[in-house]
Amino acid sequence: MRVRFALLFTGLIACALGCNGSGPAVAAGASPAVPTNVGPVPGASAPPAEIANPYGNDPVATMDGRRLFLWYNCYGCHGGHAGGGMGPSLRKKDFLFGHHDDQIFDSIAEGRSEGMPAWGTKIPSDQIWQLVAYIQSLRTPQEPDPPTEPANEQVPNPENNNRIAIGTQSAHQEK
Amino acid sequence: MRMFGKRWSYFGRWAAAMVGGCGLLLAGAQNDNANSGNNVSQAGPGMTTDIPGALPGIHMVSPVPDGQWTQPAGDYANTRYSPLNQITNQNVQNLHVVGTMSDGIPHGQEGQPLVVNNTLYWVTPFPNKLLAYDLTKPGFPLKWAFDPHPDNRSEGIACCDVVNRGAAYAGGKILYNTLDDHTVAVDATTGKLDWETTIGSIKYGETITMAPLVVKGIVYTGISGGELGVRGRLTALDLNTGKILWRAWSTGSDADVRIDAQTKNFYAADQGKDLGITTWNPGQWKMGGGTIWGWISYDPELNLIFYGTGNPGVWNPDMRPGANKWSCAIFARDPKTGYAKWIYQIEPHDGWDYDSIMENIAVDMPWHGKQRKLLLHPGRTGFMYVLDRTTGQVLSDDPFVPVNWATGYNLKTGQPEVVADKVPHTGQYAMDICPSSTGGKDYIPSSFDPQTGLLYIPAHNTCMDYEGMSVNYIAGTPYLGASVRMYPGPGGYQGELVAWDVEHQKEVWGIKDPLFPVYSGVLSTGGGVVFYGTMEGWFRAVDARTGKILWQFKTGSGIIGDPITFTANGKQYVAIFSGIGGWMGASALPTVTPDDPYATLGANGAMRNIKAYSAPGDTMYVFAL
Repeated sequence: MRVRFALLFTGLIACALGCNGSGPAVAAGASPAVPTNVGPVPGASAPPAEIANPYGNDPVATMDGRRLFLWYNCYGCHGGHAGGGMGPSLRKKDFLFGHHDDQIFDSIAEGRSEGMPAWGTKIPSDQIWQLVAYIQSLRTPQEPDPPTEPANEQVPNPENNNRIAIGTQSAHQEK
Repeated sequence: MRMFGKRWSYFGRWAAAMVGGCGLLLAGAQNDNANSGNNVSQAGPGMTTDIPGALPGIHMVSPVPDGQWTQPAGDYANTRYSPLNQITNQNVQNLHVVGTMSDGIPHGQEGQPLVVNNTLYWVTPFPNKLLAYDLTKPGFPLKWAFDPHPDNRSEGIACCDVVNRGAAYAGGKILYNTLDDHTVAVDATTGKLDWETTIGSIKYGETITMAPLVVKGIVYTGISGGELGVRGRLTALDLNTGKILWRAWSTGSDADVRIDAQTKNFYAADQGKDLGITTWNPGQWKMGGGTIWGWISYDPELNLIFYGTGNPGVWNPDMRPGANKWSCAIFARDPKTGYAKWIYQIEPHDGWDYDSIMENIAVDMPWHGKQRKLLLHPGRTGFMYVLDRTTGQVLSDDPFVPVNWATGYNLKTGQPEVVADKVPHTGQYAMDICPSSTGGKDYIPSSFDPQTGLLYIPAHNTCMDYEGMSVNYIAGTPYLGASVRMYPGPGGYQGELVAWDVEHQKEVWGIKDPLFPVYSGVLSTGGGVVFYGTMEGWFRAVDARTGKILWQFKTGSGIIGDPITFTANGKQYVAIFSGIGGWMGASALPTVTPDDPYATLGANGAMRNIKAYSAPGDTMYVFAL
């Protein structure tokens, strides 16, 4: 499973979309090496160690994650600043499938049964880690572009002018 | 016709009175009549064309419910009026709860139940179970439950909570749609699946939330997913077999849209060849929206069905130059062939997600000295549109809530006069747009009362800031390109039940809700009482003429469903769903947090206090004197 993500990362466009960020380089082997547990591990032995985000809370990675959150349409479901909607809010940490870095990685990569798409075959793993960094930054002082109240933001947001126009518009449903 | 109507109505009343004793016997007899759905201009059992107290000149074009409730809106014309009059403005204060039922689901309960042959039918939110309750027994026990086992991945594909807006009854079957794009026909007596037809795919972001309509043996249903680049269409299915008879797309070639030589569009802006392609950037019509998820109405006299289409695909208007036909339009179609009689695009090049899927109420009445065949469409745009439903001509457009995106309409061209600085652009917020995307009202249906000539509109007073963003189309994911935040509009209130005098084009009275939009449907009755609910959970009876609140009852959750009335054992009942959720009510769900005003497609900004007032959980309340 992880090998596939790793291959994708090395084989595919590393900078498919918005590659402004630098951040620490993520080696192909940096993906979790063992499946992540969602449920408790039976027996007395200690559970396998969590695999932490190689980006940690790197501010460039969280900003890149924010941009990817918009690029991959995550905001359409999870809310403009991840407060929820079609998908659950990510602004509180009682995630159904776990809130550790590797658990969030898996939720993005593998998808979840109530409609969360499985992005693992579409998004390189370093970008998934950047998304994890953004999600972990929500409600912290490190959160990039935090939500503003309506009265506050009365001017155009210049950041948006840098976004490219229509990207891929693959057609569906000829008839 | 009228004579027939009366005869049937008497039969209906007699049947309703007697059924308690011999339900089974009558069930058979009623099936023969109500089922074929072919004698739609005559009143079947539980329906009547006899409207005591109707104002002179007001003609209801289809029989109205008089004991049963067999269509989503009660009648084909979508008036949501019942002449039942045991409950009146004199005795309504004696209403009390006589039954409650729960589905155990903590999601929004929109729509309304059906009542047919002394059975009450409830379509739940996802997983879209059909529950049948026996109205002949105390406490209304469950007869059976049907489970269509929908794909649970559809839950995350639906834009605005996992809602369902109800069923229709015809031919001994209960027809409804599941969130994962199936239309099902269930035997109304046994609860067994009769047929099931797939009419969409979650792979392309498609879901279904609307209630179907059945006319003359054909089942009509739309598709949801205007936020995911879905290409809208109306699908017609054979009532007996479930076979797809035809599809009428909302975008694409004239052949796809089912426009032919008989289609006569009133305004020049709506005339031309293949406008469903040429009013878009090349290819963009394929994910162009125009979804159909509201109500379908039918005029048996003109033999036309009416419905509206939703927003164009991708919310950011800069990304789709052109008029984007036929999004945000009203269609009049031949019910058999599906070909359009006329189309009127209410709002070309939508920039605010003003879906035009609101109910289209067909009524004949005096209009400025002349008897006219009207179509009433209280728009999400905040304008109350009155159309001539024979031609699609707009006769009037008056704001029924604070509106500032347009100064009005040019009635010569049918086009809105748009205020330029309220149009959002890429990377630029348009500020203080009223109403918000959720509209001057949403899909929640109004009711027309022939005794008062008033249309009771469940209205919102919510405004917004709206920024366009670039977006990639990724099939099965949101296709938005917008950053939206909403907030209560001017005047210190956010909702209002508006009593609108149709002929005189003005509000007669209103009941303002300081907290939340009015997100419940409305029912008007022959007893001079209008029923509706609030998102806080109050279920209210209001004097139809004065707007005085005569009675209210606090239900367990917020009300976003539509009230109905019916008789069992000769006694009048009123039923309402209580169960917060839906688009604006999603802020009450535990999966939404209040600190992001941009959440739930921007509605969270206006709704984040709701957790303090209303908690999710669906219950149906049944009231009687």
